[in-house]
Amino acid sequence: MSKTNPSLVPSGRSLSLLGKANLQQYVVYLGFLAIFLFFAIVLRDSGFLTVRNLSNIVLQTAPVTIMAIGLVFVLSAGEIDLSIGSIVAVSALAGAVAMNGYGITAGIAAGLCAGLLIGLVNGVLVAYVRLPSFLVTLATMGLFAGVARSLTDLRSIPVTNSAFTGFFGSGTLLGIPSLVWWTVGAICIGHIVYRHTRFGAHVLATGDNNRAASVSGISVPRIRLTVLMMSGVLASLAGLLYAGRLQAAKYTLGETDLMTVIAAVIVGGTLLNGGKGSIIGALVGSLMMGMLNNGLILMGLSVSDQMIVRGLIILAAVAVSLREKSR
Amino acid sequence: MSRFLTLSAALAVSIFATQAFAAEGVTVGPHGEKPTPAASVTLTADEVQKIKDGNYTAALVWHEMSEYTNAVNRGAEAEFAALGITIVAETNASFDSARQQSDVETVLAKKPTIIVSLPVDPTTAAAVYDPARKAGVKLAFIDNSPAGYEHGKDYVTIVSDDLFQMGSKAADAMAASLGKKGKLGYIYHDADFYVTNQRDRAFRTTIETKYPDMKIVAEAGMADPARSEEIAQGLLIKHPDLDGIYVTWAEPALNVLAALKAAGNTSTRIVALDLNEPAALDMVKGGSFTALVADEAYNIGRTAARAAAGSLIGKKAEPFLVVDSLAVTKENVLAGWKTSLNKDAPESIVEALK
Amino acid sequence: MTVTDVSPVLKLTDIRKNFDAVTAIENFSLDIFPGEIVALVGDNGAGKSTLIKIISGVYAPSAGTITIEGETVTMASASMARAHGIEVVYQDLALADQQTVYMNMFLGREPVNRFGLLDRGKMISDTEKLVQELDVRIPSAHATIRDLSGGQRQGVAIARATHWASKLILLDEPTAALGVAETAKVEAIVQSLKTRNIGVLIISHSLDQVFKLSDRICVLRRGKQIGIRKTSETDKNEIVSMITGVN
Repeated sequence: MSKTNPSLVPSGRSLSLLGKANLQQYVVYLGFLAIFLFFAIVLRDSGFLTVRNLSNIVLQTAPVTIMAIGLVFVLSAGEIDLSIGSIVAVSALAGAVAMNGYGITAGIAAGLCAGLLIGLVNGVLVAYVRLPSFLVTLATMGLFAGVARSLTDLRSIPVTNSAFTGFFGSGTLLGIPSLVWWTVGAICIGHIVYRHTRFGAHVLATGDNNRAASVSGISVPRIRLTVLMMSGVLASLAGLLYAGRLQAAKYTLGETDLMTVIAAVIVGGTLLNGGKGSIIGALVGSLMMGMLNNGLILMGLSVSDQMIVRGLIILAAVAVSLREKSR
Repeated sequence: MSRFLTLSAALAVSIFATQAFAAEGVTVGPHGEKPTPAASVTLTADEVQKIKDGNYTAALVWHEMSEYTNAVNRGAEAEFAALGITIVAETNASFDSARQQSDVETVLAKKPTIIVSLPVDPTTAAAVYDPARKAGVKLAFIDNSPAGYEHGKDYVTIVSDDLFQMGSKAADAMAASLGKKGKLGYIYHDADFYVTNQRDRAFRTTIETKYPDMKIVAEAGMADPARSEEIAQGLLIKHPDLDGIYVTWAEPALNVLAALKAAGNTSTRIVALDLNEPAALDMVKGGSFTALVADEAYNIGRTAARAAAGSLIGKKAEPFLVVDSLAVTKENVLAGWKTSLNKDAPESIVEALK
Repeated sequence: MTVTDVSPVLKLTDIRKNFDAVTAIENFSLDIFPGEIVALVGDNGAGKSTLIKIISGVYAPSAGTITIEGETVTMASASMARAHGIEVVYQDLALADQQTVYMNMFLGREPVNRFGLLDRGKMISDTEKLVQELDVRIPSAHATIRDLSGGQRQGVAIARATHWASKLILLDEPTAALGVAETAKVEAIVQSLKTRNIGVLIISHSLDQVFKLSDRICVLRRGKQIGIRKTSETDKNEIVSMITGVN
C-alpha cells in the first residue's frame, strides 16, 4: 500500500530514526544474551548451565516478573507504584491467616482482595484526589509495611495447605512447575492487554499526554485508578506465590523487591515518565536480574563485590537503554 | 545491633527463651539445649589431614551483612582455609526469607558439602534449607535452627553467644568500676527477643545475687533505639544521682551518653553490650563509658566451620555451642577488639590511646 | 452553491457566557454552512477561546442556543461535541508524542476486531488513505509523532479531525508555530477541506491567512460580536478597524 502512496515518502532523517528505534528495542535482549553467554563461559564448570539452575532462575524470578507486569502498566500511564513490596507482605499474610482459618478459597480471595483494596486506595488518591502517585504510594508503602508488621505481631504464619503450596509454589502441571505457568500466563495476558486492547492504548496515551488522552474522550482518572488497582492485584498474586514457595508468610516478604522490579522494568525498555513500555522486555529484564544474582553468587564473589558488580551492570544497562531512547 | 532484627523476627524462639529463664544462671539454646563451650570442638592433626584430603567445599549463606556477620564470616573463612575447604559462594538475604530460599537454591548449583548459615526466620527456615538437607549438605547454623529440624540428623550444630555470660560480665564490669556499691539505672530491651532478653536478665540476676551493695533503683524498657535518649533523660530527671547505667546494647547507649552530656553529668558510668567505635572512643578518652561487653563473633564463625567440617569425617558436635565473651575496658581495648572481631581496633581508638 | 438553500451545520443564536459577574461572551450569533470556511478574529482576550470551548462542549453557554443541522443541542462535554460531529484541532495539537501516527489518528476511538482486540490493519489502512487524500507528507503511518516535523504533526492533527468530523472542524491557530513552507502546506490542507462538505471555523492571528482561506470573517472585541463580513466584500483595513475599534 505504501509503495503506491506518494505522500508516504520516507525522508532520510526519518529512516535513520526508525532504524535507531528498532535497535533500541533489542538492547535488553542483546544485554540478556551477553550476560548469559558470559556466565555460560565463565561458569561452565560451576553448574550455571544445568537445567536445575536455569529453572531455579525462572522460578525465583516469578514473583518479580508478575510485579513487573503491573509496574509496566503503571509507569506507562505516567504514574508509579512504590507500595508493591508492602502489598506483597500484606497479601501473603492476609492470605495465610484466612487460609488457616477458612480454607484455600478464602485464603486466595483474602490475599487478592488485600492487593485490590490497597490498589483502590492508591488509585482513588491519585486519580480523584489528584495527589502525585510518587507521594501517595511512598506513604502507603510505609503504612502497609506497618500493617503487615502489626497484622500478625511480626510472627511468621506457616502455610500448610498442600493444595495451595502446590498451586502457587512447588507444584507442577504436565511436568512444568506451577510458577512457570503463572509467569507464562501472566506475561501472555499482560502482553495482549498492553499491546492489543483499547485499554492498553489508552494507558499509553494517558502517560504520553494526558491532555491529549482527555480531549480524545479517554477517562484519564479511570485509567490511573485501573492501573494502580492492577498493580495491587498483581503484587498480591506475587505475595501468594512467595507464600506458596516458602510455605509461610512473613512481613519481610517483598521488602527488598521494589528496586529489583523497577530495575527490571526500566532495563526492559519501559520509560519512567510514561507513554512507552514493553511487557516482554520486563520479563527479560526480570530474568536478567535473576540471572545476575545467580551468576554472581556462583562466581564465588563476596557479598559486597556482588552488590558492586550488580549495581554497575544495572547502571550500564539502564544507561544504554535510556540513552538510545532520548534523542 | 542489626543481628537483633533477625531475632526480632524469630518470635517462635522466644517461647523457648521464656521457659529458659526458669533455669537461672546459664544460657540455653533456642530449643532449650544445654550450652557447651565452643572450645570443645577440636580436631586432631590426623583429622585435619583427612578433611584436607576430602577436597570439600562450603557456602556461606548469611541473613544480612553487618560488622557482626563480617566477623563471623571471617572466622568461618579462616577455619575453612586452614582445613583446605574451598568457599564456593557467599550470599546475603537482607533479612528476606524468600531471598534466603533463592540463595540456598542457587548455591546448591555449586554442590557445596557444607553450608554455614544464619537463618532469617526459624518458622520459614525448613522450606529454605530443605533442598540442601535433601541433597545431604552438612548444615551448621548460627543462633537458631529451622523449626522441626533434628540435631545430628538434619543439622550439625547451632553456634551462638554465651548470652548469660555476657550479661553477667556486664554486671561484673559495672561492679568493678563502682567498687561493688551504688545505685544503678537499667535500660533493657522491651521486646520479645531471645538474645537481648537473656542478656538483660543475666545482668539483673548477677547484680541482685552477687552484689548486695548495688541496687537497681531505676529501670526503663526501650522498644525503639531511636527513643533511648528521651528514656535516659526521664531516668536522669527522676534519679540524678545514679552511679551507673546499664544499656542493653551500644547503639542506644550512645543516646544515653548524649543525655548525660546534655545534663552536664560526668560522674555516671555506662556499661553496654557489643563493640562500637564511638562508644569505645568515649571510653578510652575517659568519658562515661566504662566497659563494653563483647562476644567472640569471629570465634562463632570458626567454631561453626570446624564443627561442620568435623561432621564430614563422622565427628558429632554438641547441639548448642557457645563462645566466650569478654568485658572490654580502656585497658584491654586493643586486645579485646582483636579477640572479638579478629580485627585491629579502629584508627581513632589507637590514636586516642597514645 | 448558494448559502441560502442549505441549512447551516452549526447555528449559534444569542450565545452568552458569564463567569460569575464577568461577561465573557454576549449575544453571539453565527451560522456556519457546509463547505464554508469562517474565520474568527479578534485581539487577545476578545473571547475567541471561550467561544471555542463553548462550541467544543467544554463550557456550557449561560444563555442562547446551539443548533446542529436544525436540532437544538446541549453539550456538557467534549465527547458530546464529538458525538455531534464537531472536531477540534487544538493549538497544542493534543497528540501523544511517543505513539504512532495511526494510534493518534484513532486515539480514544480505536476500532476492534471481533475478539475485542485492536484492529491495527484497519487503523493503518484508513490512516494511509486519509494522509494520501489530504496530501499530508509523513514517512509512514507507523511513524512516531515526535519524529515528525511541526507541519507534519499539524497535518496529522487536521487529518484526525477530518476523519471524525461529520459537521464541523474547529482550527485553533493552526500555523502559529510553523515556518513559511510548512504554513503553506497546512493552508493547502485546510483549503482542501472545503470539498468535504463540512464547516470549518478557523481562528488565526494572521489576516493574510484569513483572507487567503476564509469565505466569511467574524470579528469579536471584548466579548462582543462586532460583525460578520464576506471575505470577498471587505478588506484588511475594515477588519483591522473592527478588531481594534479604531477608525
